[in-house]
Amino acid sequence: MRKSLTLLSLCLPLLAKEPLLTFDNQPMGTIERPLVLRSYLPDPGLEDAVFPQHDTARKVSKYNPGPGSDVPGEILPVPGLAAAIGVNFGPALSFVFDTTEARLMYAWQGGFVDMTPYWGDVQKGSRVSFDYVPRLVGTMFFKAAGKDPIELGGKSISDLGPRVFTGYKLDKGVPVFAFSAGETRFTLALTPSDKPLSCDLVLTSSSDAPLTWRGVEGASGKGKLSFTLSGTEIAKFQGYQRDNKITKASAEAGEKLFGQYGCAACHSIDGSKSHGPSVGGLAGHKVEIEGLDQPVVADTAYLLESIKSPNAKVVKGYPPNYMPPFGLPDVEYDSLILYIQSLAQPE
Amino acid sequence: MTSLFFKLGVLGVLAVQPLHAVKFDDCYKVEDIKLPAGVPPEVGAIDFAEDGTLFVVLRRGDVLKAKPTADPAAFDWQLFATGFDNGCGLDVVSPTKIRVTQMAEMTEAEDTDGDGKADSFTRFAHGWGLSGNYHETNALTRDGKGGYFIAVGTASFSGPTFKHTLGTFSDAGRRGRNYSAVKWKGWVLHSDAKGNITPWASGFRMHNGIYQDPQGELWAGDNQGDWKAATPLYHVEKGKFYGHPNSLVWDPAFTKSKDPLAYYRGNLEAYNKDRTWAAVELPHMEMNRSAGEPMQIPAGSHFAGQMILPDNNGERVTRLMLEKVGDTWQGACTHFIDGRGLRSGNHRARFTKDGKQLYLGQTVRGWGIPAEGLQRVTFLGPVPFDIDRITITPDGFKVSFTKEIPDQLKDAKAWKVSSFTYQSKWTYGSDPEDKKEHKAGIASSDAKSVTLKFDGLAQRRVYRISFPKCDSTDGSPLQNNLAFYTVNSVPGK
Repeated sequence: MRKSLTLLSLCLPLLAKEPLLTFDNQPMGTIERPLVLRSYLPDPGLEDAVFPQHDTARKVSKYNPGPGSDVPGEILPVPGLAAAIGVNFGPALSFVFDTTEARLMYAWQGGFVDMTPYWGDVQKGSRVSFDYVPRLVGTMFFKAAGKDPIELGGKSISDLGPRVFTGYKLDKGVPVFAFSAGETRFTLALTPSDKPLSCDLVLTSSSDAPLTWRGVEGASGKGKLSFTLSGTEIAKFQGYQRDNKITKASAEAGEKLFGQYGCAACHSIDGSKSHGPSVGGLAGHKVEIEGLDQPVVADTAYLLESIKSPNAKVVKGYPPNYMPPFGLPDVEYDSLILYIQSLAQPE
Repeated sequence: MTSLFFKLGVLGVLAVQPLHAVKFDDCYKVEDIKLPAGVPPEVGAIDFAEDGTLFVVLRRGDVLKAKPTADPAAFDWQLFATGFDNGCGLDVVSPTKIRVTQMAEMTEAEDTDGDGKADSFTRFAHGWGLSGNYHETNALTRDGKGGYFIAVGTASFSGPTFKHTLGTFSDAGRRGRNYSAVKWKGWVLHSDAKGNITPWASGFRMHNGIYQDPQGELWAGDNQGDWKAATPLYHVEKGKFYGHPNSLVWDPAFTKSKDPLAYYRGNLEAYNKDRTWAAVELPHMEMNRSAGEPMQIPAGSHFAGQMILPDNNGERVTRLMLEKVGDTWQGACTHFIDGRGLRSGNHRARFTKDGKQLYLGQTVRGWGIPAEGLQRVTFLGPVPFDIDRITITPDGFKVSFTKEIPDQLKDAKAWKVSSFTYQSKWTYGSDPEDKKEHKAGIASSDAKSVTLKFDGLAQRRVYRISFPKCDSTDGSPLQNNLAFYTVNSVPGK
């Protein structure tokens, strides 16, 4: 859910029907209504081999327009994807499809992107000068490597000729990407999977030649493949890290952090159900945990553990892996806990 | 008694204020158009469908549509599409199909199942690069033949490039302040009706707005900065170079140097010879700091056929009075509206089909202090007392007004004429040079115009023309008493 909107929707039924991008710098879609976000997107350490259809930038001297000449120092290129499309189904699945390589670049769960360094804040609109690439939020389980994993007739489509992105159609809101490799046309769609650190793929080809997805057992056929792409935890991301300059823990600071880290996207504060359990009426109360016979009390230790290691105790009725672990300064942990404790009695 | 005295006093005021005196508020209404609450109103582009539906591209990716209503707060906005990267050019092909220039490509979005929302997103035109710099937005105008002219902006040295670029990377193109590290940055491209692009003209810095007028003339503004002395308006012609050197790294016909920035940095004489000069230079502080999309004022309104030029960095919109001398375009500028409730960030412009309303899309986010939104100016009918037109004569200017002028303006003492030159160069903007005062005489005058005559009318100079604020003979207050005329060619010389 796009959280600002959730709040607004109480008084604006139109918006509830039609979610719009808001000032929320951590926009998210839902399973029913995935969000397609086209923007500069992060390059989470992709190897050079996945960029054959890009060029490589080089450093440049710093320059002073006053005299119109170079000056000491140089500017280095930064990692980033220039022409990619991000898709998000809520915490269940996010992925990036690159239109220059016409290829799935990476996929993750537990969040989407934090646009703060690019979109800035409401008042200043302040992009972070040389560090504006948005940050990922969540746990990455797939990252492209080497040649394209789509193989036709036993050959990677990287070897079939130029891969050309031609567009996408929304099928019940789900983008189905269309591209060609040489003479052959392909479509690719990703949707969330029931399995953790996984997603479901549907791949089609206009050719009769055997079609496979390299490295996935059983992902082979002709014309159309449906399969689950499962991975393991490759990396974890928690958005744009700010220096909040909090010196003393407080519930007020915690409330700010709760909004800033996008907690509100999944955890309501009024006891209502969302992607994650509500933090309203949580502190000091008993919680049913998956795999435990007895409920546990949501004391300070429980709250801290749940922020640091969300999978340690998963609340019954909620999926694991949705929430990324947050590595924060102690003062921020303490502030978030104080805030959650201030909500012990929901309004 | 007091009451009678008061009434007489009021009558007295009415007596000296003719009933047909026309003030600004009688002529124009400036209104804020409300977008849905909570939505960043960062308007990248606007356009009307044939049926009058207004489409608005927001820079974060959403495209909204609504039928305009008389109440500016009552538009029933619907989401038409989302998923555009900083879309700053829009053509509404039909109420169900739009084309948007976003950072990496021009995309066609169509509602194919009739549910009011786009479900098909097809690459329409592509072929320009994208370096990863934040500044590389694009604008479009229709070419009248089903195709487009696309203005591809340069990158800024206030941001980096990515390691992996869309399109070939050029070291020489990457140099300097605003740069063209990848293809067609700083160019106008032509796209045919099928989306095939060809390079058209080079030398732009940030032509944030391009416009083909109903007569088929192509215009683009630019932004004061490196190699742009002030904010210019260019008449764009195929094959010409408009002064920002970096784009030339992509021009195979430019063989003078492999480093055009360095070449022209060291040779301003060649630079001045090789470039096509602005049709109009708009002084930075007095008129316009950063040009948005030019737009001709349609028939039926006063100033019809003239052009407005939004200021992206000022609470104002410029009015341009263009004329062709020989085969050269040139002309004057004054304010269309200065202040009066306008926001800054003026960037995109569209008139309604009846020509009575001007919609202005505004955004600065990421380039400066945010001034985001959508406004409209309604032409209420009455004509303000203003400069109607300035035309050049062999030895001066004829200044025409919309209403009869007081005798004060028929006296040479009222008029101040000075001139200066601009040298575009590597610096961020250039100060006026070679300033001259001209003692203007009145060659002739009639009820609504004055023809000024003076020594020193010469090409490649900008003339500043000012006169006192005064009322027309019907008591209407003067809107503008300052104009600048850019002389590229003197008639008869």
